[in-house]
Amino acid sequence: MSKVISIKIVEEWILILLIFSIMASIGNVVGYNYPFSESFIGMLILCIITLVGMLIEKIIPYNIPSILYISVIGLVLALPWSPVSDLIIYYTSKVELVSLTTVLLAYAGIGMGTNLKELKKVGLRGVIVTFFVIFGTYIGSALIAQVVLSFTGII
Amino acid sequence: MEKTNNDNNIRSVLNYKLHLTLLICIIVSEYIGTITLSFNGTNIILLPLIYSLILAIALYQSRHITWINEEESILSNKFMLLLVGPLIAKLSISSGNNIGILLNIGPALVLEQFGELCSIFIALPIALLLGFKRESIGMTSSICREPQMAIIIDKYGFNSKEVNGFMSVYIIGTVIGTIFISIIVNVLCNILPLHPYSYAMGCGIGSTCMNVAGLSSLIALYPDLSEQLSAFSGISNLICLIFSVYIYLFISLPLTERIYGKLEPVITKIFK
Repeated sequence: MSKVISIKIVEEWILILLIFSIMASIGNVVGYNYPFSESFIGMLILCIITLVGMLIEKIIPYNIPSILYISVIGLVLALPWSPVSDLIIYYTSKVELVSLTTVLLAYAGIGMGTNLKELKKVGLRGVIVTFFVIFGTYIGSALIAQVVLSFTGII
Repeated sequence: MEKTNNDNNIRSVLNYKLHLTLLICIIVSEYIGTITLSFNGTNIILLPLIYSLILAIALYQSRHITWINEEESILSNKFMLLLVGPLIAKLSISSGNNIGILLNIGPALVLEQFGELCSIFIALPIALLLGFKRESIGMTSSICREPQMAIIIDKYGFNSKEVNGFMSVYIIGTVIGTIFISIIVNVLCNILPLHPYSYAMGCGIGSTCMNVAGLSSLIALYPDLSEQLSAFSGISNLICLIFSVYIYLFISLPLTERIYGKLEPVITKIFK
């Protein structure tokens, strides 16, 4: 059922991505003094990759999340032997990762409004467990990375 | 019928009061910029993304902001699902750009993903000690983000205790995960001398927001290594995207079940 794409949904995606592009570009101008037009082109590139990834997810019958398609498209386009890599790297470098996340988390803050009541219900115990879940995952990954990187002689 | 429905949808997306309010909140956050706090040699770095999160939560809670309510909250959730895309695209572009480093390390990079299992060994005993039962399986078997959500719902059913536990960590992780990871990165870098590259790879733990928050704190600590740190983090995040679902399904969840089966009776006995 979710595999059906209607023009309505795609229109909505495009609109949301456009709003995001404008807001993130303004964020880049304020935070990093990048020219608006360059940040905006960078944002449009990122949004087109996103849109293509989401369309592929809907078209291909396997249950693979769109973020995987998006990261593969992004990676391939930026490879040194890709004809558009210079262009893509130049414009997307005018979009700071931090400012993208700043916009995302602003919406997240509003979006989780309805969750806050539930958060109070879970209480401090849940917060403590969450802290250790993040801590455990992070330190475990970093330790193994240290072993792998020193084993392969990178560090 | 179809037509009016369509118009309504577009109109609800174009909720200009919501977008303008958030735009102000973003401009304020970006304007404040990065703040570094020093406590006896330990540097804690605060980033604009943390302010915008806190500001937005405050806006939703405020009684004076009458134009942001439940409807806007639902709309914002819809936005969030989509906005993760450009972030992932941005990270993957930095990995593609630095493919040389990735090829130098080779398949051994995948091993780093098994670090996720560390969460089970550290957090599961703590969850059990705090009195959680089956919920703890959902809570501690992964970092509890979107990719794992589908799997756990599929396996245990939407109304199960495991999914309840998962959802609590998911919600808390969404609300304060970025703050937690910033603190963890700052503190660990000061007390445990691993290479910054390792810490950068550790940031790719499957949550885009937490990844970026952790990575940004790291870059603020080692500004000279900015480009390499992004590349390592992006690479690790991509591998995580590809493998974490399988590691979760075939290793993490069964392992958590098994450790739970062994540990739960022991802890219950001690505390009875």
